[in-house]
Amino acid sequence: MSSADTEPAPADGDDQVAEEPPRARRSGPARRRGSFTLTVEGAPTLALRGVTMTYPNGKSALRDVSLTVAPGDFVFLVGPSGAGKSTLIKLLIREALATRGRVILEGRDLARLNRGEVPQIRRRIGIVFQDFKLLTEKTVRENVAFALEVTGTPRRQIDPAVDRVLRVVGLSGQADQKPAELSGGEQQRTAIARALVHDPHIIIADEPTGNLDPLISWEIIQLLLRINDMGVTVLMATHNAEVVTALRKRVVGLENGRVVRDEMGAAYHRED
Amino acid sequence: MAAFIGFSLQRAWQGYWRNGLMSLAATASMTLMLVLLSGLFILLSGLDATLNYVESKVEVVAYLADSASLDEINALQADLQALPEIAGVSYVSKEQALKDFQARQPEVADLVAALDENPLPASFEIRLHDPADYLDVATYLREQPIVDSVQDIKKTVGQMVAVIGLLRTVGVVVLLVVGLTVLFIIVNAIRLALVARAQEIEIMRLVGASDAFIRWPFIFEGALVGLFGALITIGLLWLAQDRLAGALADFFAVLPVQASAMVGQNVALIVLPTGIGIGVLGSYVSVRSYLSR
Repeated sequence: MSSADTEPAPADGDDQVAEEPPRARRSGPARRRGSFTLTVEGAPTLALRGVTMTYPNGKSALRDVSLTVAPGDFVFLVGPSGAGKSTLIKLLIREALATRGRVILEGRDLARLNRGEVPQIRRRIGIVFQDFKLLTEKTVRENVAFALEVTGTPRRQIDPAVDRVLRVVGLSGQADQKPAELSGGEQQRTAIARALVHDPHIIIADEPTGNLDPLISWEIIQLLLRINDMGVTVLMATHNAEVVTALRKRVVGLENGRVVRDEMGAAYHRED
Repeated sequence: MAAFIGFSLQRAWQGYWRNGLMSLAATASMTLMLVLLSGLFILLSGLDATLNYVESKVEVVAYLADSASLDEINALQADLQALPEIAGVSYVSKEQALKDFQARQPEVADLVAALDENPLPASFEIRLHDPADYLDVATYLREQPIVDSVQDIKKTVGQMVAVIGLLRTVGVVVLLVVGLTVLFIIVNAIRLALVARAQEIEIMRLVGASDAFIRWPFIFEGALVGLFGALITIGLLWLAQDRLAGALADFFAVLPVQASAMVGQNVALIVLPTGIGIGVLGSYVSVRSYLSR
């Protein structure tokens, strides 16, 4: 034991006040018990800094994109097909790496993660797709539990966590049905439950209502809004003009790989 | 860790049965290879043991003319025993030679019995103190009128060594070819398993499963193919044990050892690690090439 360990640091202003990092922090174990509360202040949940993405075939999908999303934001990502929305999402979930620029999620530069850290960061993102990506031979409960099983969650923690998210999405009654027995909306809610079960800080949804009729689409949007109210940041790429315009949330427009608009409380189409 | 191992084993087990036909093909070819391996091992161990035994027991065989009388034979045996170079002499009569032959080659016993007369000669089996004296002893024997021919066991042993060496080389080459085929089949079986689970793998990646969770179930699945192949092989050998031991005892009639007891344990010790090793290697190659894309 050296005395340096116990001696108080010189009080000249250098002393380390163990400050919590300013960005949103949630205590894992507390959240496991079922609370979605979090403080939404400080550093952004995600940030893109001058991101350019050129595919190996020379096609450039994103050009110099910069974007900041604060914790608790609800952001619609809009734009015509081929504008770069899917590429942007691929970069955010680190399915691809930017050719230039930085993609920062939860304070981490995604290009600098080592192999072992990629799964760790993905557990903090909930991902929802247009085609649900459910396993057809598993029940609703098993589909949701799968996300925990494959990340090494102890069995005794899985059931309570699954029950909790199934309640959140309103599928407790359908837990033992298989996807084929469910409506499209229920399938998407299953996918959302799976995305939620790791208590992500952000939900990234790629056209989540693309395969659903308008009424069911609203149901899904309501659910995402509720999740957003619990403090989870939501980024949703969509073509659904009606929903975007009605909700008056933040809208980021992409065209030809560039951000052409970023407005708060905006409609699907530019209104000026 | 417990969750990981439980998960991987469970998925490997599910994968093995879900992938039914391909698993069956992989296990069958694995079994074939391991049976070949065991067969070669048993044969070579038997031949080696025979060789050592023969080498230690007899060095020179003098075949006697049928015309030799019992007196002449006794006289020669006494002469030989008196020679300082000779450590021991044993007499094998025509009748004994025929009996030994029939015991060693039961399948032709009937054929031999059908012969009018015994075609096998009587002989002296002679051990030397020093193998270097062979030429002197052989020359002495050839001078004897009742000695028909002299066989140098050393020479026979040399030929046997060459045959065993050839057998071993051919066996190893055949095993390598079969082993590579099995490896190839396993690589493909696991590849099919990977393709069958492509969507699951994609979801696992997206929800943040670590590489180990994605890869190890398939490695275990390959190990299962090896394990089942090895167990089936051991089971087959166990079932065939009695017949095999009988065949071996006939084949290596001169041996005072129990062939099955000798090699049984060693076969299991060879078959299990080989099977599991090839299974793991095959699935590793497959998983590596498939998931690194």
